[in-house]
Amino acid sequence: MTGGALTILAAITGAFMLFISILIVKSKDLVYASSSLAILGILNAIMIAFLGYYLVAAFLVVVYVGAAVMFIIITVSMLGGKAKEPVDESKGYFTAGAVGASLFLLVTAMAAYLGYARPSNISVTDVSASILESHSLVIGIILLALAATLIEAIAIARRG
Amino acid sequence: MALVDVTIAGIALITSAFMAAIAAYGMTYSKSFIRQLLSIEILFNAVLLAIIVLSALSPASLAAFSIILISVVAGEVIVIVAVIAAYYRVAKALDSSALEEEGV
Repeated sequence: MTGGALTILAAITGAFMLFISILIVKSKDLVYASSSLAILGILNAIMIAFLGYYLVAAFLVVVYVGAAVMFIIITVSMLGGKAKEPVDESKGYFTAGAVGASLFLLVTAMAAYLGYARPSNISVTDVSASILESHSLVIGIILLALAATLIEAIAIARRG
Repeated sequence: MALVDVTIAGIALITSAFMAAIAAYGMTYSKSFIRQLLSIEILFNAVLLAIIVLSALSPASLAAFSIILISVVAGEVIVIVAVIAAYYRVAKALDSSALEEEGV
């Protein structure tokens, strides 16, 4: 695929991501909103794949969309997602404007400073070696923390 | 460095900044726990995208870092949803303004 076509596809994906984000925030039904989060995760994975990180994109789809977002969708479906919710429009617009403007400036400045180099060849072997050699302690702690989290979540949900 | 890479990186950065703004709007605009959780998830997606774009220095290490980040967020989602489910059983509502009234 040529560079121009990739750029157009990335722009379309970005526009879709913004549309889905607005849908998540503004949708009346929370079940539809949480289902839209799954679509946002998939679109994010596509954008990450455009940037060259195929393994991270696959991991995002499998772990985040496949497990975490599905968990949210099932829970929201069980709790019922059509309850009336109080809103404060003015506070939302003010915060969005402030956060959006400052992040846009920060991110543009950082990008201009660092420059960008597309990862030429990141294989599964490289990433696995990096995880096991440089981050083995972190992975061990995360495995323990995730196991504790799972037990904690079951205990909270049963006790409530 | 090819031109297309810079363009796609720019598109991704602009998208992530706007997504962060939408997430901030959702977090402050609604009082529903679920809506606030979904807004935080939009923020997570924006941050992940921005981190990946700004990772010119060490791609392999960044991939490992992103995988760790996704794992931690998956755990965080489980705990938050469990707390919301427990709160719903007690209060029969998904509204954070009730907590503000009680001074929590």
